[in-house]
Amino acid sequence: MTKSMLIVSRHAPWGGLSAREALDIALAGGAFELPVGLLFLDDGVFQLLPGQRPAAVEQKDLAANLQALPLFGVEDLYVCRQSLRLRGLDGQPLALSATPLEGPELADLFDRYDLVITL
Amino acid sequence: MTTLHLLSRSPFGTPLDSTLRLLGVRDGLLLCGDACHALQPGSAPLQLLEHLPDSVALHALAEDLEARNLMAPERVRVVDYPGFVELCTRYDKVNGWL
Amino acid sequence: MKFAIALFSPPHAPSSRRALRFAEAVLAGGHEINRLFFYRDGVYNAADSIVTPQDESDLPAQWRAFVERHALDAVVCVAAALRRGVLDSREAQRYGRVAVVPTPPWELSGLGQLHEAAQSADRLVCFGGD
Repeated sequence: MTKSMLIVSRHAPWGGLSAREALDIALAGGAFELPVGLLFLDDGVFQLLPGQRPAAVEQKDLAANLQALPLFGVEDLYVCRQSLRLRGLDGQPLALSATPLEGPELADLFDRYDLVITL
Repeated sequence: MTTLHLLSRSPFGTPLDSTLRLLGVRDGLLLCGDACHALQPGSAPLQLLEHLPDSVALHALAEDLEARNLMAPERVRVVDYPGFVELCTRYDKVNGWL
Repeated sequence: MKFAIALFSPPHAPSSRRALRFAEAVLAGGHEINRLFFYRDGVYNAADSIVTPQDESDLPAQWRAFVERHALDAVVCVAAALRRGVLDSREAQRYGRVAVVPTPPWELSGLGQLHEAAQSADRLVCFGGD
C-alpha cells in the first residue's frame, strides 16, 4: 500500500535553502505519483507572501516551483492559521491557495498522514 | 496514527509552543540535544511541558541530560539509544523537528 | 522492523552523531536499515575530504566504517551534493572539477531514493537541526 507523506515547511524563503529543499521533496514525491501534502508552518508561511522579488538578493524565485505543485499532483496544501496571524498575514491574499488550519485541525492533519518530514 | 516527535533545538531559540500545538493526545515527545534545556527547573518551556495532557508521553535522551547536568522530572522517562529505537517502533511514525 | 534513516545536518552537528548512534542501535536491536539517505547539509557526512582534528571524533570516517561493515545502501542526494561541492568521479568529470568526494560505497542519486526508501520501510526517521 502506498504511504502518504506530509512535508512541513517552516522556514522563510530567502534566508537559506530550507524552503527550496522542502519543496524539492514534495515535487519529487509528486513526480513519483505519491500522495504528498505540504503544510506551511511558522516562518514557512512567508513563502506564500505575494509580490516578493528575490532577484534583488540574487535568488531564484520559488513562485514557479510553488505554482508547479498542482502540475506534479501535489494538491493538498495547508497553512497554519496561527502562524499567519502571528505574522500579521491572516486574511491577506496569498500567492498560493492553501487550506488554513487551526488548533486541533493541525493535529488531525498529522494524524492522517503515514509519514512526515519537517524541514 | 500516533507520532513520536523528536526535538533537538533549544526551546529558547525555537519557541516550543508551535510544536506543542501540533501534538496529538496520544503522541510522544523525545527531547535530545539542546532541546533538553527545556527541563531546566523553573524555566518557561518546562511549564509548557508540564501542562501537556498526561496521555502525552515525555522522554529525554540520557546522554544529553548527562552532558548538560540536567535531571529529568518524574514525568519524563530517560532513554538510551536502544530505548530510542524501541520508542520509534511503538509510535506509528516519527517526526524530527529540525 | 525496517528503518529508513535520513540525515540533514553536517558532521559537526550533534544530530549527525546522534543519527549514527541511533543507526547502530537499530542494527544491534535486530532491526534492518533499508537505506541511509543524506540530504541538505547531511551530504557533508559522505565527504572523505573532511579532516577532523585528531582529538575529536571523525564522523565522516565513522559513517564510512559503519556503512562498509554492514554493507548498507547509502545514498547522497545528488542535487544537494552538487551545490555543496560533494562530487563523485562521474559528476566531477561532468562538471570539470578536480575534487572527488565521495567515493563508494556512497552513491549519488536523486530524491526519488528517499521516497522509495520511506515507502518500503516500516519507519522513516529524519535527523537534523542541532
